[in-house]
Amino acid sequence: MKSQQPLFHVIKREDSRPAQQLLAYVAAVVLALAVGAVLLAVQGVEPLTFYRQMITMGIPGSRYPWRAVENFIKLFVPLLIVSLALSLAFKMRFWNIGGEGQFIMGAFWAGVAGMLLGESLPQPVMVLAMALCGALGGGVYGVFVAALKVKWGTNETLLTLMLNYVALYFLQYFAETKAGWNFFLDPQSARPKFAKFPDNAQMITIPIGPFNLNLSLIVALVLCALIFGYLNYTKRGYEIAVVGDSPNTARYAGMKVGKIVIRTIFLSAALIGMAGALHVSSAGVMSASPTNDVGWTGIVVAWLAKLNTLGILLASVLITVLQFGCQTASSSYPSIDANFANLLQGVILFLVLAADFFTRFKLVLRSRKEAAR
Amino acid sequence: MNDPINVLTLFLFNIVLVNIPLLYGTTGEIVVEKAGSLNLGVEGTMAVGAIFGYLAGCMTNSLLVGLAVSFLAAGLCGLLFALLTVSLQANQNVTGLTITTFGLGLYFFVGKGIGERWPAMTGASALVNGFAPKELPLLSKIPLLGKVFFSQNLLVYLGVGIAALIWWYLSYTKTGLRLRAVGENPGAADSVGVNILLYKYIHLVAGSGIMGLGGFYMALYMSGSFEGSNCWINGYGWIAIALVIFANWNPLMAIGGTLIFGFFNTLQIYSGPLAGAFPGVLGWLNAVPAQLFKALPFLITAIVLVASSVRKREGSGQPAALGLNYFREER
Repeated sequence: MKSQQPLFHVIKREDSRPAQQLLAYVAAVVLALAVGAVLLAVQGVEPLTFYRQMITMGIPGSRYPWRAVENFIKLFVPLLIVSLALSLAFKMRFWNIGGEGQFIMGAFWAGVAGMLLGESLPQPVMVLAMALCGALGGGVYGVFVAALKVKWGTNETLLTLMLNYVALYFLQYFAETKAGWNFFLDPQSARPKFAKFPDNAQMITIPIGPFNLNLSLIVALVLCALIFGYLNYTKRGYEIAVVGDSPNTARYAGMKVGKIVIRTIFLSAALIGMAGALHVSSAGVMSASPTNDVGWTGIVVAWLAKLNTLGILLASVLITVLQFGCQTASSSYPSIDANFANLLQGVILFLVLAADFFTRFKLVLRSRKEAAR
Repeated sequence: MNDPINVLTLFLFNIVLVNIPLLYGTTGEIVVEKAGSLNLGVEGTMAVGAIFGYLAGCMTNSLLVGLAVSFLAAGLCGLLFALLTVSLQANQNVTGLTITTFGLGLYFFVGKGIGERWPAMTGASALVNGFAPKELPLLSKIPLLGKVFFSQNLLVYLGVGIAALIWWYLSYTKTGLRLRAVGENPGAADSVGVNILLYKYIHLVAGSGIMGLGGFYMALYMSGSFEGSNCWINGYGWIAIALVIFANWNPLMAIGGTLIFGFFNTLQIYSGPLAGAFPGVLGWLNAVPAQLFKALPFLITAIVLVASSVRKREGSGQPAALGLNYFREER
C-alpha cells in the first residue's frame, strides 16, 4: 500500500531550550557578519578592518572619545525605551507598529512645552514637564487606536501604520511653515528652521570629568528595571501575560480584557512619547524627522529579544553598535554608507526568524512517527 | 504654457504618469493579501525590483529584460517572505518590516557600491524609448482624456492591464476563487483539498513580483539617477498598503484609488500652477499646506479603516485570515 503520509510532520515543541536558543542567536549574528564580510569584500573593502572600526565606533584614537560615547547614548536611549514599550504591546499581541507616530507626537508636545515655557521654569521642572507632555501626547495618540480595536475590532496594525505618516506630515507642517504664530521656528532665519530650545529645556547632563552623562540614560535604565518588575511581579503584568496567551482564558478568569488592553497600550504609547520628549530635549532642537527610524528598529529589537526585558537591553546595545558603528566606519569608505547597518540588521533578523522555527517546532520523520504508533 | 487648459491637461496627465507605481504596488499587495498574508515589505520589495531591474535593463539595453529582472528580484523577496512566514511560521508583521529594512539596505549598498560606474539611462535607448509616450490610435484623439489616459507610456498600459487581469483572475477563475478561500479560511480550503502551501508560495512570489515592476517603473520615471540619500520608491510602498484598504482589496477599484490618491499626491506639486491658471476658482489652493496633501492618503485610509470596522459591512474585501499564519496541526 502506498503511504499517503508526507515525509515529515511539523510538531510544536512543548519544552523550551534556552541554551540552544542562545546558541542559535549567536550563530545568526556570526553568519550575518559573514554574509556582510563577503559583500564588503565584493565592494573592495577589507571586511576585518571595517568590522573593527564598526565595533570600536571610532572611540580609540579619537581626539574627543567622550563625544562619541555621548552620541552613542543619544542613539541608544530612544531605541531602548521604544523597544521596551513595544514589548508591552506585543506581549498582548497588539501589533503597535505606530512607534514612529507616537514618538513624533511625544517629541511634538514636548517641543510645545519646551518652546513656550522654557524661559519661565527651572531646568529640572522643565525637563520633567517636557517628559510628561511627551508621554501624554504619545499616549493619547496610541490609546485611541486601542479603544477602537476594543470597541469595534479595528485592525490596529494598519491603523497605527497610517497614523505614523499623519504624524510625520503634521510635524513637517510646523517645520516648514514660516509664520508669526509658529513659535517653533527661529525668527532670525529667513528660511524655516527650528529654533534651539531655551537652556532650561535642554536635557540635564551630569559632568564626570570631560564626559557629560545624559540623564536620559539613567531614566532609560531605571525604566528597564521598572518594566521588568511590572511584568514579572505585579498583578497588572500578570494580566498582560494572560491576555496575550489567550484572551478567552482571561475573560473566563474574570479579567476585563478591554480595560487591560487600553491601559497597557496607553502605557506603551506614553513611554514611546516620552522617549520622543527625552530625545528632542537631549538634541536641544526639534527636527522635522526626529525618529531616526526608532519606531521600526524598536520592533526588530523587541522581536530579537523575544520580548524579554533583559534581552531587549542586550539587543538594543547590539543594534545601536551596529548602526552607530556603521555610521562611523562608513565615513572612511566612499562605497559604503550607514545603510549597510540596515542590510546586516535585515540578515540577522531573517536568520533569527528562521532559527526560531527550530526552537518552536520540531520535525518528525514519517518512519519514526509511524514506529511510535 | 500658462494657458489654463494646458495646465489642467498637464496636471491630469501627471496624475497618471507619476502614480502608476502605486497601482503596481497595490495590485501586487492585493494578490499577497488575498492569500491571507500581510506583507509590510512593499517598500523594500519595490526598491529591490527597481535597482536590479534598472541595472539589468541598462546592461542589456532591453525593456523586457529590465521588466523580467525586476519581477524576479522582487519575487525573490516574496519567496523569502513565504519561506519565513509560510514554512517557518515567522510573524508576518516582523518579517515584512524586515524585508523593507533589508531591501532598502540592499538598494543603497548596490547603488553606493557601483558609485562612479553607475549607468545613465540615456545610454540605454530601449529604456528611454520604452518610457516615451505612445499615443494609442483613435483613443488619443479624444479631447483632454486622449492626452491624459491614452498618450502615456507602455508601462502605464501594462500596469492597468495587470490590474484588470488580476481582477478577472480573482473574480472569475477557479484558481482565483480558491485563492480567496485560502485567504478567508485556510482550514476549510485545506480540508477540501486545496494545496495551501503551493497557493501561498505562488501568490506571495507573484504578488511581490508585480510590486517589483512598479519599482522598475519608478526607476525609469526618475531617469535612473541614483541618489545616495533618497530611495526612488520614496514611500510609495507604504501608500500602496494604504491603497489596498482604500480599494477594498479590489484591483479594479485600485485603478480608481490610484487616481484619487494620485490626485492629492500630484496636487501638492501643481497647486501653485493650478491656482495661477484658475485664480477665481482654485486660488484657495495656495493657502492649503503641501503637507496636508501628503498626509491625506493616509488620513483617508485611516478613516476608511475605522468606518468599515464600525459598520462591519458584509461587502468588506478584507480576507478573514489576513495576517494569521496557517498551522495545519492547529486546524
